Amino acid sequence: MSHFIRNCIYQGKNLFREGSYTFWVILYPIILATFFYAAFGGMMDPSFEDLKVGVEENSGITHVLEEIDFINIYEVSKDELVQKFENDEIDAFVDDNLNLTVNKSGINQTIIKEVVEQIKQTIKLNRPIDGSEFSVSYVLGRDQESNSLTVIFYSLIAMVSTYGVFAGVETASLIQANLSNIAIRINSTPLKKQNFLIAGVMVSLLLNLFANAALLLFINYILKIHLFNNIKYSTIIILLGNLFGVILGIFIGVSNKKSSTKTLMAIAITLLLSFFSGMMGPWIKVMIDKHVPFLSRVNPISIMSNNLYRINFLGSTKSLGEGVIILIGYCIMLLFASYLFLRRKSYDSI
Amino acid sequence: MKEMIVKVKNVVKRYSEKLALDHFNMEVKEGEILGLLGPNGCGKTTAINCILSLLNFDKGEIQLFGQKMTPNSYDIKRQIGLVPQEVSVFENLTVRENIDYFCGLYVDDKNTRRRYVDEAIEFVGLKDYVKYYPKKLSGGLKRRLNIACGIVHKPKLIFLDEPTVAVDAQSRNFILEGIRKLNQEGSTIIYTTHYLEEAEMLCSRIIIMDNGKDLVSGTTEELKAMITTSEKIVVSFLSLEDEMIDSMHKIPHVVDIEKKGEDLIIKFENGNNNLSNLISFITEHKLTYRKLYSQLPTLNDVFLELTGRELRD
Repeated sequence: MSHFIRNCIYQGKNLFREGSYTFWVILYPIILATFFYAAFGGMMDPSFEDLKVGVEENSGITHVLEEIDFINIYEVSKDELVQKFENDEIDAFVDDNLNLTVNKSGINQTIIKEVVEQIKQTIKLNRPIDGSEFSVSYVLGRDQESNSLTVIFYSLIAMVSTYGVFAGVETASLIQANLSNIAIRINSTPLKKQNFLIAGVMVSLLLNLFANAALLLFINYILKIHLFNNIKYSTIIILLGNLFGVILGIFIGVSNKKSSTKTLMAIAITLLLSFFSGMMGPWIKVMIDKHVPFLSRVNPISIMSNNLYRINFLGSTKSLGEGVIILIGYCIMLLFASYLFLRRKSYDSI
Repeated sequence: MKEMIVKVKNVVKRYSEKLALDHFNMEVKEGEILGLLGPNGCGKTTAINCILSLLNFDKGEIQLFGQKMTPNSYDIKRQIGLVPQEVSVFENLTVRENIDYFCGLYVDDKNTRRRYVDEAIEFVGLKDYVKYYPKKLSGGLKRRLNIACGIVHKPKLIFLDEPTVAVDAQSRNFILEGIRKLNQEGSTIIYTTHYLEEAEMLCSRIIIMDNGKDLVSGTTEELKAMITTSEKIVVSFLSLEDEMIDSMHKIPHVVDIEKKGEDLIIKFENGNNNLSNLISFITEHKLTYRKLYSQLPTLNDVFLELTGRELRD
């Protein structure tokens, strides 16, 4: 045990003192958050008060939707639907069968869709809609910045969660005798490879969680954007994101020989996944959701940002289970693939 | 009788088409400083990596301390120290932290570890640099740190892979002196180098390698006795005609004459009075010379005679 702790301490010191690691994992996300706040902060502000939902005259759903403070109801006949959409008088139309009609994709439409889904689920569970408290659970009274900037920040947090990838790459390099000089020395000692690796994963996770905490504190206390209402589920997602990042790093580290390729791969993968999850602007996420919804379901950063958004912004946990399973699945797959590289004890060339 | 520490038998190692070790053999007894001498790329480091089970090999057998060496031979690894050719330390740990980290992989007891670390720091002369990071150290000091990390746990068997490459003269002497001291304290040492003088000065036994093969093995004297040349006399004549060089071949025991710039190197096989025979020839033919001196053969001559190439090539 003392061996393990010593390994953790020294690997932690070695990693934490690496200037580039500290920059990319701690400072860069804070700089990025500041940049996003400055660039997009005042740009988009469709508040909940603005959600305009069209319903049929004397629709049974009207009284349910009326209970939700941030939704304004407009009675619309099907004949005038097209015109109402064109004039932006409504964001979405909900018929008696809870079918949703929209003429474009956007944050407002996404929120309305979530509301309708929640109502459908309540009905399926045979719970009475009248007097139900479900509408309150969305976000009301929770002092949130209800704008698209939130999506960007959730994406940013998701991306930073995966930044354990860099520590993973470093840990892998230190243990593969065909990858680094120091690994040659370590492999000649009585230290077991798996012990070094487990210590490396633990340290990487801890350091990355520390970096996550620094970013969240910065967003919460300096930028004054309050993102988290459901700490329990958010923590699960962030932890899994961290684990995914570190294991992805281990895989990249053990499967490539060239140091520059490894770093480039780590940066490219995390940036690309973040881009598709809407970090560079919510319109990308909306476009992906519309045209390639599958990508959103399998992109680990999208899974994280979507779930953080749904859990904290919409109070919905309906996709949490699926997201957790997919992320755990990725971790297991990457671990197995890494094991195939790591199981080699001797090498053909060094 | 001294214990056999390392036994390498007929090891073959290929890198695709290239044969890196060609039926390589090596035996090291307890208390020896064995020098693996050969030009760059002859397979010295490959041999060490195979012995340590870091590299797969195609054929042959390797035993350390009487047991087969495998990547999982942790008990054997506890008795080994490696000083790799490249400086292999953590760049973001200080000198002391690096030595302590590697010592901790072998030594559990905290007090013993502290003592060992202090002794290793003292041994390599890095007392004034304990808080320095490796990147702040000069090349020579880095090499000393590299050595300290490999010997701190007082191993029975130490592999030193070209520890003096790119090191200034002062650090080099320091390192060589240290190796001798380690040996006196009981460690068996396998030392790879392509520097002839180092091998000659330090090693109790030498294996000369070329193209992955162990060409010969023995003490310096034994190796020199293996070759035809037993003495070289270097003469620098003011002028000398080619016919005269041909006549010199008739001097007793001359085996070869080589012209190198202004110098004429005359090689003699075993025999007495080589120098006086040559001087008699010079006097008889009224030749004038600027300098004349006799040399005993070097390991380079041994290598030259065995391979037809100079070790320094």
